[in-house]
Amino acid sequence: MLEAINLTKRYGNFTALNSLNLSVNEGDIFCLLGANGAGKSTTINLFLNFISPTEGTAKINSIDVTKGPEETKKLLSYIPENLKLYPNLTGLENLDFFCGLGGKKYSTNHLTELLTESGLQPDFIQKRVSSYSKGMRQKVGIALARAREASVLLLDEPTSGLDPKASNEFSSLLLEMKERGVATLMATHDLFRAKDTGTHIGIMKEGILVEQFASDDVSFRDLESLYLKHMHN
Amino acid sequence: MSPLVLVAKKEIKVAIRERIVVALGVIITLLLAISVYAGFLSYQQQKSVIEKTQAEKREEWLNQGDKHPHIAAHFGTFVFKPKTAISLFDFGLDAFTGTSIYLEAHHQHEFMFRPAQDHSTMIRFGELSAALVLKILMPLLIIFLAFGCFTRERESGTFSLLLSQGVSMRSLVWGKILAFCLMLSCILLPFFLCTILLTAGGESSNILHDLHIRTMLLIVSYGAYLFLFIAFAVWTSLHAVSGRNALLTLLSVWIVLTILMPKVVANVSENLYVLPSMRAFKADIEHDKAHCLDGASPRSARIARLEAELLKEYQVDSVEELPFNFEGVMMQAGEEYSHQVYDHHFGKIKETFSRQNRLSSIASLVNPYMSIQNLSMAFSGTDIYSFIHFEEVVESYRREMIRKMNNDMAENSKYGEFYEYAAGSELWHELRDFSYRSPSIWSILKNYTLEIIGLIAWLALSLIFLFQSGRTTKPLYD
Repeated sequence: MLEAINLTKRYGNFTALNSLNLSVNEGDIFCLLGANGAGKSTTINLFLNFISPTEGTAKINSIDVTKGPEETKKLLSYIPENLKLYPNLTGLENLDFFCGLGGKKYSTNHLTELLTESGLQPDFIQKRVSSYSKGMRQKVGIALARAREASVLLLDEPTSGLDPKASNEFSSLLLEMKERGVATLMATHDLFRAKDTGTHIGIMKEGILVEQFASDDVSFRDLESLYLKHMHN
Repeated sequence: MSPLVLVAKKEIKVAIRERIVVALGVIITLLLAISVYAGFLSYQQQKSVIEKTQAEKREEWLNQGDKHPHIAAHFGTFVFKPKTAISLFDFGLDAFTGTSIYLEAHHQHEFMFRPAQDHSTMIRFGELSAALVLKILMPLLIIFLAFGCFTRERESGTFSLLLSQGVSMRSLVWGKILAFCLMLSCILLPFFLCTILLTAGGESSNILHDLHIRTMLLIVSYGAYLFLFIAFAVWTSLHAVSGRNALLTLLSVWIVLTILMPKVVANVSENLYVLPSMRAFKADIEHDKAHCLDGASPRSARIARLEAELLKEYQVDSVEELPFNFEGVMMQAGEEYSHQVYDHHFGKIKETFSRQNRLSSIASLVNPYMSIQNLSMAFSGTDIYSFIHFEEVVESYRREMIRKMNNDMAENSKYGEFYEYAAGSELWHELRDFSYRSPSIWSILKNYTLEIIGLIAWLALSLIFLFQSGRTTKPLYD
């Protein structure tokens, strides 16, 4: 479970995130919508403890991420907007390496299976990542998220720049994670994906969570109107 | 498998697949192999020449025929500095001090003080040796290997994914260090093994009885020195804002440590503690031999005093009545006086060398390169203090030779008899063949306390910095 309590991040006079309060329970997919600079990535980075909060607390499974950074990271899986892997290693080697760091050891067959299931073409599995497209790298990220069996999933605009097929495969991952009871926090610009896969939606503007609701409570059209209303105000 | 080992394994795999790093490694390995092979060939050739010539000179001495002992003392002999296999590792000062010395009556010829003619000790280095490759080129390989170990992770974006796996910074830092240590070991282990095999046993151990200890100390000290560069490169990469910055910082430090600072220190020490020119040095000695160290009693006065003392002691009126040849005693007294003069002047030169070296030792507290430079020469038996010891042993042998000749002249010839008396083979055999054993490395190391302290202090400091960096949990994005 993810929990933000009065979570604030300031850079000098600029407030990137202002008193964010939210919780994402097991099986929830919380989609954060907002324009660039709204504070979505800052929120993700605070949960990853990549940056320190100025005020407030970010908790994963009730553990303050600043107090147990390694412990909390063991509980999560993270896919950034543009997943970067080691270009001189193959997709399989990258997956094996990152799984190993998270304490998971799988056979080559199982890793190959994970990559294939995540949509990576079999003939690319043993090829160096330097020859991969962005979509292929994201698929390695999906395989990694599956392999880690994390209880929390942090996604920072993971479908940005992906083709519709790849985005659709990504949605499958989210639904699979939801069924496994994973708490997912996803920063995205993709309203359609948020409505389609999210259980909860939050709209952020200038570091403030201006609106949050269950996705079932709004239609796609309402969501779009609501989003645009906040963006234009 | 622990994260530390995983990181190390990944780092090695990535480095192997980067052709530039592999090419650099191959070049360094080849240079090491060439330096060891060339050094070994040179050692064998010099050893063979030295042994052959030393044996010829001994034969010449023994078979010089019947002649007056004083003529034999001027006939003299040569002594050659024996070559040890470990010196192929670090030629040190060998190339600048010469390998042989002519021993004769009245004169302590220059041997180890040849640099007094032109240069001070530490000015000219550059001959390709294993030490040079390890001291200068290996750090360069480390820099190219490690400068981007963290900056590249940040610049390529893998750092955030890496840290999101819950791996500690400590594991990352030490995993990368382990990887670089293992990669260097692949080059160094075969090299050190070859060095051990080439230097072990044989005649070298007759000269250096602690050869194994010296070899081990060489390995340990170079290991520590290279680890320092690994630690510094990793630390710099962790804290640099970009790979370019890290590389520039590391290369600048490398240039200062290995090129600029040693030259500056050598020049400063040469200017602060000036050595006399060889001409002035010799002129001073000749002056003091002819007159007196205190300028009060010239040679004639010293001889007159000796004559008076002996006439009084033996209660005779003339030197012809003495029960021995006064000329032999006079010769020996003259030699002993010249010993004082030589000891005085060579002592002053040694003192100047010592001061110059002291400055180099002090500089080594801030520069690990200078620590390893001095320690490497000491372990290889090619440093200034090993030379001073050899020179003292040689001079002691010369004095023994001249004393035997003078004593024989005093005991077996008569006053005024020069061409009439001739000694033979029996006397020449009384002079033992020259042999040399170097002092223990521990006694030599007493001169290098600051170098040892410097290296240990840098090692401790680097470990503290690395442990401190390992405690950081932020990927420096804040």
